[in-house]
This record gives sequence, structure tokens and C-alpha cells, in this order.
Amino acid sequence: MRSRLYPIFKYTVIALWACFVAGPFFWAMTTSFKNANAVQGGPTYVPWAQYEPTLTGWRNIFGGAGGVDVIDPFLNSAVVTIAASAISLALGSLAAYALSRYRFRLGFIKNSDIVFFFVSQRIMPPVVLVIPFFYLLQWGGLLDTIPGLVIVTVALLLPIAVWVMVDFFNGIPREIDEMAMLDGCPPFQTFVRAILPNSLPGLTVAAMFCAVFGWNDFFFAFRLTFTEVQTLPQAVVALNSSIPPWWTLSAAALFGVAPLILLALWVERLLSKGNLSGAVR
Amino acid sequence: MDGLRRHKSMFLLPGLLTLFLIIIFPLLFTIRVSFSGWNVSNPQMDFIGGANYTAMLHDSRFWASITRLILLAGGTVLIQYLIGFGVALLVWREVRGRRFWRVLFLVPMMTTPVVMAAIWQTIFHESLGPVNDLLGMLGLTRIPWLTESGPALVALMTVEVWQWTPFMFLLLLAGLLSLPKEPFMAAAIDGAGTWRTFWKVTFPLMAPVSVAAVVIRLIEASKLSDSVYVLTSGGPGSSTETPGYYLYIQGLRDQQTGYSGAMSLTYLVLMIVTLTVVAALLTRAFKLKGDS
Amino acid sequence: MRSRPYPGLVAVAAAAALTATACTAQNEAQHKPKEKAALFEPGSQISYEKYGKNYPATKVRDVPGTCSYESISRKDYSGQTLKIISHAVPVIGEPTQLHAKQFEEITGGNVDVVNVPFGELHQKILTPLQAGQPAYDVMFYPSLWIGDLAPHLAPVPEKYLNTTGMKDVTQAYMDVATWDGKVVQFPVDGDRHYLKVRADVLKDPKWQAQYKEATGKDLKVPTTWAEYQDMAEVLNGEDLDGDGKKNYGSAEITKRDDLTFSAFISRAAPYVKNPDVKGGVFFDVETMKPLINTPGFVRALEDMVKARSTWAPGGANFGLGDEIFSFGGGQTLLSYSWDDAFIQAQQPDSRIRNTVEAAPLPGSTEVYNRTTKSWDRKANQAAYFTWGWTSAVAKASSHQEMAFDYLCFFSNEANTALDLTIGRFGVNPYRTSHFDPGFWEKQGWDKDVAEAYVNTLSGMEENPNRVFDLRVPGVNQYMSALANGVAAALAGQESPQRALDAVAGEWAEITERIGEDKVRSAYRDVVALEDKS
Repeated sequence: MRSRLYPIFKYTVIALWACFVAGPFFWAMTTSFKNANAVQGGPTYVPWAQYEPTLTGWRNIFGGAGGVDVIDPFLNSAVVTIAASAISLALGSLAAYALSRYRFRLGFIKNSDIVFFFVSQRIMPPVVLVIPFFYLLQWGGLLDTIPGLVIVTVALLLPIAVWVMVDFFNGIPREIDEMAMLDGCPPFQTFVRAILPNSLPGLTVAAMFCAVFGWNDFFFAFRLTFTEVQTLPQAVVALNSSIPPWWTLSAAALFGVAPLILLALWVERLLSKGNLSGAVR
Repeated sequence: MDGLRRHKSMFLLPGLLTLFLIIIFPLLFTIRVSFSGWNVSNPQMDFIGGANYTAMLHDSRFWASITRLILLAGGTVLIQYLIGFGVALLVWREVRGRRFWRVLFLVPMMTTPVVMAAIWQTIFHESLGPVNDLLGMLGLTRIPWLTESGPALVALMTVEVWQWTPFMFLLLLAGLLSLPKEPFMAAAIDGAGTWRTFWKVTFPLMAPVSVAAVVIRLIEASKLSDSVYVLTSGGPGSSTETPGYYLYIQGLRDQQTGYSGAMSLTYLVLMIVTLTVVAALLTRAFKLKGDS
Repeated sequence: MRSRPYPGLVAVAAAAALTATACTAQNEAQHKPKEKAALFEPGSQISYEKYGKNYPATKVRDVPGTCSYESISRKDYSGQTLKIISHAVPVIGEPTQLHAKQFEEITGGNVDVVNVPFGELHQKILTPLQAGQPAYDVMFYPSLWIGDLAPHLAPVPEKYLNTTGMKDVTQAYMDVATWDGKVVQFPVDGDRHYLKVRADVLKDPKWQAQYKEATGKDLKVPTTWAEYQDMAEVLNGEDLDGDGKKNYGSAEITKRDDLTFSAFISRAAPYVKNPDVKGGVFFDVETMKPLINTPGFVRALEDMVKARSTWAPGGANFGLGDEIFSFGGGQTLLSYSWDDAFIQAQQPDSRIRNTVEAAPLPGSTEVYNRTTKSWDRKANQAAYFTWGWTSAVAKASSHQEMAFDYLCFFSNEANTALDLTIGRFGVNPYRTSHFDPGFWEKQGWDKDVAEAYVNTLSGMEENPNRVFDLRVPGVNQYMSALANGVAAALAGQESPQRALDAVAGEWAEITERIGEDKVRSAYRDVVALEDKS
């Protein structure tokens, strides 16, 4: 009885959730081929049958008149995201390894407090950070530069990297360290030779979170750059005018998510292989 | 022993110092500015004592927004957890098209929140958007999504659930996939049914992941402001205003840097206390569940 | 004991200050252009056609003068870069980009444009200015921010004030560009609120009869807010234009942190601007006591609350964009705000082209007199010169000549003539020569539509009873507080009186924070503009 109903229930729930997840993308896809008249005419879904599709939205994000060019911002976003993620992952996994393997004690401060210090950086409301960041970067002459943006992004990503990696390293048996140590490896070599190769899944999850948050940061990138460095979210938001071009925004939203879908495929691959065992615990 | 100490510092310090150096100036700046009258026409570090803090105590919008946040963040994270866990359980084991579902369910998290909020605004648009249109086709009444406080809160929570359930889903799915096999075999030998196995084995084993995922989501959800800005700009009246959005209005739009500094610090302290308590409570709750 | 020094902070602040001074010192050395041969014959044909099919094929003649294609193309700006911040694309943002591209082509200089949504523009412009960071040379922004920005702006040099284009700018918009007797903003747009109606519905006997039956009055363009309400109410929810879809009464901007404050001031103008009472609408300029909770404003807010029933679905959360789609798309009968929705309705591919009409904002049958503390029974109407887009050059810029040349090129006669015809550009008439019905008829507008439009706009210039925006430092704080009060009343959280009492309380606090003298001296200039007429 149960076994016959269960698959129906299972696939119904999956299908419903999939509709909810995919719905906005379908809507964005169909809207991206509309123009002002098609939008003002009320909600429609099927091109040709219900409205005459145009490519204006898509042309506008590739430098068409009345749009913005997303190619340069795309590259800037990629550079900032990759650099900041790499730095955060490197510093974050070192620190996480230390917090996972050694005991720190400084007065009342314990390991868990240090982890909390890292994570707590994400509690700070961005609104207050941005003004001091502005002065800080100005002081270093780094406003409107990629290095400046990378520094700030590291501050946003490092806590995530530490948080994911501490949990992950806690899941790797200490025997692996001990064996490497017995082979005469100094601690740093142990980390590089024995631990890191076993950490690919954890690094992947951490990298994905870093990439997601780095790629999608609008708040800081927007306020700490002027004209030289524009990131992708900034280029998209530059289209949000008092006549909101629904079509161009839709096209831009779909374009912006594309590279990260590749990342999702990669993560899923690792998941399927069971490689993520212990990635989060 | 000296060598060990040096090594452990060598591992920890680069990251810790980097973060500390990036964050210390903003923190000190905010503390100092919260005692100043820094505003749009007078951007200066003068000293006005605790005036900002006194004003904040009487700012009913600020406190109302914090109360509202408890509902919004708590509610959405709970829903995200339930759905994320449920869906993760469904695609955990044998299911047709598993890889497709898993990738699809991850994608919303990868969209840019400010941009997606603009798309959601078009979705909830009461006469030009699809939601009311579909409701109409089903013969249901149209809902004033963004113009009445109840539906507006539902709309906001929907956006949050859509965007961030994948985060929960990924963490929980990864957790499920890394569970050891033995306890499940033992349960099978005992003849435990699906339901019993879930409560006795899966759920307790998932407790650490669950607590971590819920806490990190609470931290992120507490900053809720992009979707508020785009969807309702805090309205109707001030019924969807969150602290993140109120701080944005006061701090950046009206540029009352001093006052927003005071509110931010208060908010920071409140959040740290709340989250510590919540984390402790959750840990205990999950443990009790596991022991019983 | 004031200002306890924090050594670290002081050091950083000092460093920042030093950087700032260093930058200011640099600016002494202004970059100048070299001469080169002109690329255009005097009076040659200008068209945007080659920039893409989004642009009309209209051709106009280059008008000779300092700012013409011909004169600007004589300048060689190669090796120099101009940095510009402007509004999001397309409104003002698109012409900024287009003219930047053209300017690069004809001067050899480099122009970088960044486009920013409305809500972020103020902070994005002001933060670097206050920090002494030379981020932008040219800024496009709403003209009501003049009080915050004026100290950082370079006055427009004599040479540009004497151009034919500038001389033709109407007095009202020259006034708007002036601060402390100096022209610091470069006019590129003229904006105002006016009434927009669906003339085809008003002329339809069916609706005339229905309206007559319901109210006993004739259906015509409303001249008071009470008539506006009657019409919106009676005709709300009917299929007015026979397209099978319901139409609604009124579309107005109601989304709290969008531009609700401007919509509310439009509704209040006839109740609060008494031609016989001088000395300020928002404050009593002598005492700086807020007048925002006086009976005139309260009446306007009561009207607005009543209007709720006439709004389209979602109408209580309409931003400017929604209003444009709603009226411009033919969903609503009446609307009032900037030109955008009207021009959108008049685009060549619009379904409701030439069925719309422009008219002055509705008035009232009585107006509050704050000296006698009573209502004066007389017909009243006030022109509200709502802020529009303007532009300015940063004092700290080291490319001031290039910056002013760019703005002067942006607004030369040929470019403006073309810009005016492209609705999404958001460039609206601001020169006397723009008030020519013939120009609009050439764009395909019907004669009546063009004449009513031009008369509405030029009539405002002649109206002696005017309201200007609150052009004082910290204007955003005042308007935020106002929008919050209006939103609370619209949402039914507070009564209009109580909501505005709260706003008045906040306004007093804001004034105290910013400095009463500072606000008063700025407000005196606004009052002078209103009272001199």
C-alpha cells in the first residue's frame, strides 16, 4: 500500500518544487523577448501566439543602443570573484586546519570563539561597513580598482571559507595527519601533501559559496568603484531606470546566472560520486 | 612544543590577521561615528555624546523592524529548512533524473539578489504579472500582493525561500550523502520502518549539519533588505520594513551616518547575543531529540 | 572635553585630509584642449540613425554657436578622460551615453559613463565629493539636490552662459539652476508635474451620460482635485476604451521610497500655495516652523487616501515606472506626474497614441491661509515646478573645460531637438523654442494634442502662483520623512492629521540636526523664487 503510493507522492512533490524553482526563470525567459507594448498588455507567456517577440532585451545587454555592454563587467566580475575566492580559500583553509587540529587558548578565548569571530563578520550590516571601507580604500589609493575590490571581497568570503572548512577538516580522520607526520613531514607539508588532496570536496563546496557570494555582490562593488571598474551586477542594475526595461533586466538576469550553473554541475558531479562525504558535518 | 606553537600560529594567523586588519578600522570607525552627528550636510567626527543612542531608544520604526525581522528571518529559515531537508531526502537516494533535479534545485541560489528582486517585482505585479493572472485562470481571487501587509510579507518570504532554500538543500544533501551506512543497516535489522528510521537514525545524525545550516542561514537572512527595497520599499506604510532596509534608508539614502552607526552597533550586539542563544538552544534541542 | 581624539582615527583622517588637499592642489592645473580642424560644415545635417535602429531617422540642422557640432569638433581632447555619472539607462542615462560616444568621436577624447539607479545616485555622488575624492567630473542628478551639492560644484563659466541655447532656457529653469546668485547647474531638462487624461474617454457620449447621471456634471478635463476624484471614482473598473480589459480611475506614484513625496506635493499645491500669503509653503521662513501638518496638506492627504479606491490593482505600490506603464499603456483614465507617461503614450508604436491630453494640475475651490488660520474661498491653482534632471561639473575636476564642453554639446540645439522626440530619454522641454506645437506635430502628434501639451507647459511658466521643491541641504531626509508619513496614512496606519503631525515633528528635528541657519538661508532662496513671481 505504502510502497505504491510513495513514488507518486515523491514525484509529485519533486515536480511541484521544480515548477516553483523554474517558474521565475521561465517568466524571465519569456519577458526577455518582449517590448514595452507586450509588457503593458498584461501577462503573456507564449511568443508569437500571444505577443510578437523581439531581441531588444538581449541586444541591449550586448552593447545595443539604449543598453549596457556586459562583456567588460563580466570579465571584471570574473577576475574579482576568482582572485578573492582563491585568497579566501587559501587563508581560510589554513586557518580552518589550525582551528581543527590545534587547541588555542588566550584567556577566555577558545577555538570555538575564534571560529565565531570569523563567522560573526557576516552579521555586521553592510550599510555601516561601506563608509569606512570607502575611507580605507581611499587612504590606500585603491578606490575604483580591482585590488581594492578584491580586498573587500576577501573580508566577505573569508568567514564562509573558514566556516565550511573547519567542519570539513573535523571530518577528516586525524590518523592521516599522524601517518604523514610519522613519515617525517613537517606540519605544513603534511597539510599540503596529505590533507589538501583529501579535501577537494570540501574545497569545492567552499569555493562554490565563495563564488556565489563574490559573483553576486552588488552592495560593496557598487559603492567602492566609480567608472574604471564595473562588475556584472552593477552593469545590470544600471538598467533599472524610472522606465524599468523588464525585458533587458530579464535577459541580464539569465546571462548573469549562466557561468554559475557550470559550477552547480561540477558540484553535483562531486555529490553524485559521493566525494562530498564529510564536506559538511 | 615551541615548534608546535609556531606552526599553529603560522596556520591561523594569516587568515585571522587579514580579516582583523580589514575589519578593525570599519569597526572602530563605526563605534566612533555612532557618537558623532555625522550627517549629509555635516560629515564630521564631532562628539555629541550618546544622543544617537537616546534617539534610537525612541525610534519605534527601528524596534518594530527588529520584531518583524524575528518573524521574517525565523519564518523563512524554518520553511527553508523544512523544504530543503524534505527535498534533499527525496533526491538523496534512487530517483529518476536525479542529477537534473539536483542541479535545478541549486540554481536559484546563484542568481544576483538585487536583479532577481526586480524580476520578482514583475512576477508579483498585480495587473501585469503572472501570479495574479494564473490565480485568475484557476478561478481564484486576485491577491493584492504588494499593497497589503499580509500578502506583502508572504511575497517577501516567497522570494527568500526561492532564493535561499538551495543553500539549505545543498548543505543537507551533502550531509545526507556523507552519513555512515552502519546505523541504517542496524535499524533495518531491528525492523524499523521508514518513519522510525528517520526519527531514530537520520535526524539525530543530521543534527550537527542542521544546526550549522540553520545558524548560518539566520545570519544571512537577518540582512534581508534587497528584496524589501525593490518589492515594497518597506510598505504598505512601514509594514515590511526590516532593520537592514531601515539602516539603508537612514545610513545611505538619507546619509545619517552617525545615527545609523549607533543603530548598527546595537543591532550587531543584539544579533550576536540572539544567535549565540539560538545556536545553544538548537544544539540542545537536537541532542535531546537524538537521545530520546 | 568635546571631540575626544582617537589617535588611529585622527591619523587616518589626517592622511585622508592630506590626500584631499593634494588632489585639490592638482586641480589648479586645468587641462586644456588643443585646436584641430572642424569635422562638420556649419549647419550640417545631424541624425542619430547610424547609432542603431532604436533611434529615429529624423534629421535636424546643426545650429551654429559655441556648442554646435562644428565648434566642438574643432577641439582636440585626445589623451584626456572625462568621468561622468548619470541615471540608469534609458532615462537621462541613454542620452548621456549617446552624447558621450559622439563627443569621443568628434573630439578624440575619452568619456567614461557610469549609470546608477535613482535611489543610489545621491549617495554615490556625494560620498566621494565629501571625501575629497575626484571621482566624477560631470554629474547628472535631480535638481532638488542643489542644496547638498552646491558647495562642491563649479559655477558655469560666462562663456557658456552666453550661448544661444542657454539664453533660450526659460526663467524658471535658470532659477532652478542658480544657487547663491551663481549658476552652478547646467540645465539639460525641464520637468514639472501636470495632469494627463484619456481624451477619447472624455469625448465618448456613453461615459458622458454615465458621468452626468452619477454626478449631475459634464464630463470634461478636471480642474479641481474634487472633480478628479469624482471622475476617477465613477469611471473606475469599467472597460472605457473597449479593448476587452478593465480600465481604472487614477494612476499615481505611491510606493513609499520611490517618488511619492513629489506626487503628494502636487496634490497639496493648490491647497497650500495661497497667492496672498508670502513666506514659504513647507516652512514659515522666519520661524522655520514646519507647515507640513497645516490644514492644506492634511486636506491633500485626505484626498489621496480617498483616491485609493480608484487605483488599478497594485496601485498602492506604484513607483514611477509602474505609473508610466499604467497610464502610458492605456490602463488608467487619469494620472499626474512628469512627462514620461505622456510621452510613452505618444510613442509611434503606442496603442493609445493621440487619445491623450495634457492639462495643468487640478486646483481647488478654496486655499488655506496660514496668517488668518482659515480657508479662503476662491478658485486656486498652483504650478508645481517638480524637480527634473540637471547636470553639473565638480569643482575638484581638473577637466572643467572638457566637462562644460561636453554639457554644452549635450544640450546643443540639434541634440536637444532630437532628444526631445525620444520618450525614453526623459529630456523634456526647457527652452522657449521648445514650446512650439509645430515641432510636435512633425513627430506625428495630432494638432489638439500638441497644442494642449505646449500650452500646459508654457502656461506654467506664466503662472504667478508657483511651488518649488524644498531645495535645502538634507532634502532627502525631509522627503523621506514626508514619504513615510504619507505611506502611513495611505496604509491606514495613521490618520492623515496624525501622520503629518509626526512628519512635522521629524522635520523640526532634521532642521535642528542640520542647523537652522543653514536650512533657513537655503529656504529663503526657494521662497524668493516663489514670492517674486
